Amino acid sequence: MIQHLVDGILVGSFLSLGAIGLTMAMHILRFANFSHAELLSIGAYCALVFDKVFESLSPVLATKIGPLSMTGALAISIILSMAATGLSAVLIDRFIFQRVRQKGEELSMVFASFGMALIIRNVIGLIFGLSGELYSNEIAFAMVLSRDPLLLVKPDQVFVLIAALVLMFALHVVLSRTTFGYSLRAVAENPRLAQVHGINLKRMIAAVWVIGGGLGAVAGIFYGLSFQITPVMGRDLVLPIFAATIVGGIGSVYGAVLGGFIVGIASNLALVILPSGYSPSVPFLMILAVLLVRPNGLFGEARA
Amino acid sequence: MKKTLVFAAVAAGMTALSTGVQAQDCTTKIGAALPTSVDWGRPIAEVAQFAVDQVNEAGGVGGCAIEMVLRDTQVDPKVGVDAAKALVDLEGVKVLLGAVSSGVSMPILSSVTVPSGVMQMSCCSSSTAFTRLAEEGKTKGLWFRTFATTAVQSAMGAKVAADKGWKSVAILYKNDDWGQDMAKLIAADFAAAGVEVTVSVAINDAQPSYRAEVTEALGSQPEALYLALYPTEGTSAVREWLSLGGTQNMILANSLKSDEFRDNVGLQYLGGALGTDTASPRVESADAFKAAYQAKFGSEPNGPGLANSYDAAIIALLAMEAAGKDASGADIAAAVSKVTDPNGTAVTADAAGFKSAKTTLAEGGTVMYQGATGNVRFDVNGDVSAPAVVWKFTDSGTEEVEYLSLTEVDAFIASLK
Repeated sequence: MIQHLVDGILVGSFLSLGAIGLTMAMHILRFANFSHAELLSIGAYCALVFDKVFESLSPVLATKIGPLSMTGALAISIILSMAATGLSAVLIDRFIFQRVRQKGEELSMVFASFGMALIIRNVIGLIFGLSGELYSNEIAFAMVLSRDPLLLVKPDQVFVLIAALVLMFALHVVLSRTTFGYSLRAVAENPRLAQVHGINLKRMIAAVWVIGGGLGAVAGIFYGLSFQITPVMGRDLVLPIFAATIVGGIGSVYGAVLGGFIVGIASNLALVILPSGYSPSVPFLMILAVLLVRPNGLFGEARA
Repeated sequence: MKKTLVFAAVAAGMTALSTGVQAQDCTTKIGAALPTSVDWGRPIAEVAQFAVDQVNEAGGVGGCAIEMVLRDTQVDPKVGVDAAKALVDLEGVKVLLGAVSSGVSMPILSSVTVPSGVMQMSCCSSSTAFTRLAEEGKTKGLWFRTFATTAVQSAMGAKVAADKGWKSVAILYKNDDWGQDMAKLIAADFAAAGVEVTVSVAINDAQPSYRAEVTEALGSQPEALYLALYPTEGTSAVREWLSLGGTQNMILANSLKSDEFRDNVGLQYLGGALGTDTASPRVESADAFKAAYQAKFGSEPNGPGLANSYDAAIIALLAMEAAGKDASGADIAAAVSKVTDPNGTAVTADAAGFKSAKTTLAEGGTVMYQGATGNVRFDVNGDVSAPAVVWKFTDSGTEEVEYLSLTEVDAFIASLK
């Protein structure tokens, strides 16, 4: 039971990271981006490439950091791949979504994002092959925190959780303490009014994609670190991430964080009462349960 | 005009040269619905095409060249059914090869091939659900498979546990027709062999994490782990299992006999893992297939279902030949017994064998096909039995630990009853 709870929190940490970007894009750009989870794949595969490059450039970087299965090379790769993924997100918006936004309706955006997801997934499959890849073939063994009740935690997971929390805190500081954060929130609130006050809308949209892409990349890499990366990981993650976003309330960054943890914990705890064959239904049950009580999600606000 | 004629003549000459048989001016289509988009599925389709090529080399079927129209199932029942529908309705095929997974073959059988009276021959589906369906008469005799049922595999799993002295086993199974079937069978076989099943956990594919499932299995503290999974989720689940301190005593179903699984889990952690699989009989015809495969593809036929896929294609085509021109799917299915007749004339699994089979069939005789999986013989439900092996992973692939002949397998299965 405690083990399931702890595991749920750990799974929740990368769902939250993914959901933050999704909720921001959904709120500011007003469309359900089904290709958001593909940014996680892009990030994970970028890191795979950077990781290999750095490891071959400098053998020192190939050694593991403490008890983690992460190397110095991968640590640098995370930062580079955040930038690369943020850039890809901006480019995808510039070349695809922006054009659709100008000409089409909201629904066209949703379909465009579906198409984009398929394209990204298949391009990754073409380049890297369809089988799973790993950052490290070594298995990082779990530490026994307690024998009775049995509680096992992997060092990687602790790192992932702490890193995710640090990133979320950093984002919180940016959003609540800086002018840039205020502008971002103003745009989310009312883009026209924000523009009247001299906020550059285009730049803000790009910023949303950079933040969403960057956090998505981290989520993807952490996912790869904990499990394995495959070209279809976006497909596997899109529903839990959407569930986290909707449960938290669309547009609420804090809601997304909480939603991620709720979905993660719920899917893990579900096995205690449900047979394992039904576990994919849990995110949907969460959405239903939350929307019944709060139609706009936990932190969401009604919007005309 | 002149140019065209010259070109046609040259082309005809080339055809005659390359095939050495009478020019074929017609084409008969057969369908294949196989998972070509996954790494272990593509070779299965390639070897079926190889069989078709050999048959064409022998002059085709009923004087017509055979064209195998191949469509991808993506290991997805929906995609598979669409593919099969397109093959049957648009291409008008009377014979469908496929699919690989039981979970895909089953909906194709019940919603496409049986309603349209098309013969379906699968290389690799092993679920016993097909046997039950056939017993109820719902396959209308249109269903065949060249892969032994799951019952052989699960009995071998129980044998491994019993031989190793493992007293308790946890089961992780793929949540589809095949996995559920496998889990049910293996649980019964373990019980019959005196091995306790601590817990049986379903693994859904395409889940972000298998940690909760693995934790559940781990909590039951088994001496060994039985895995009826596919490589992708198998890798995730096993890495999770090992990292949480789970035992390295593992029994693997044949679906995990893959390089992807070995490389991504890591050979160093698979020392205690023993796999089960059905095997080719140790007979000449099986060795001949190996040699032919090696000559064609430059590697040993190591992947799952390759020999079976070859035999499925050849037997289907032999049956088409035996059924004659413009035969319906049911006619072709009925003719299968004519080409797998234990009292028939023996023919080998190559172009020459197909040619001699054609002669025998033309004279009204019957044929015993000696294929890549031995002398294939279907029972009334379209099932075959098979010898079995126990295998383990090595640096270069897999290595056989133990071989059980067909009699030994049957005897062990009988002892479990």
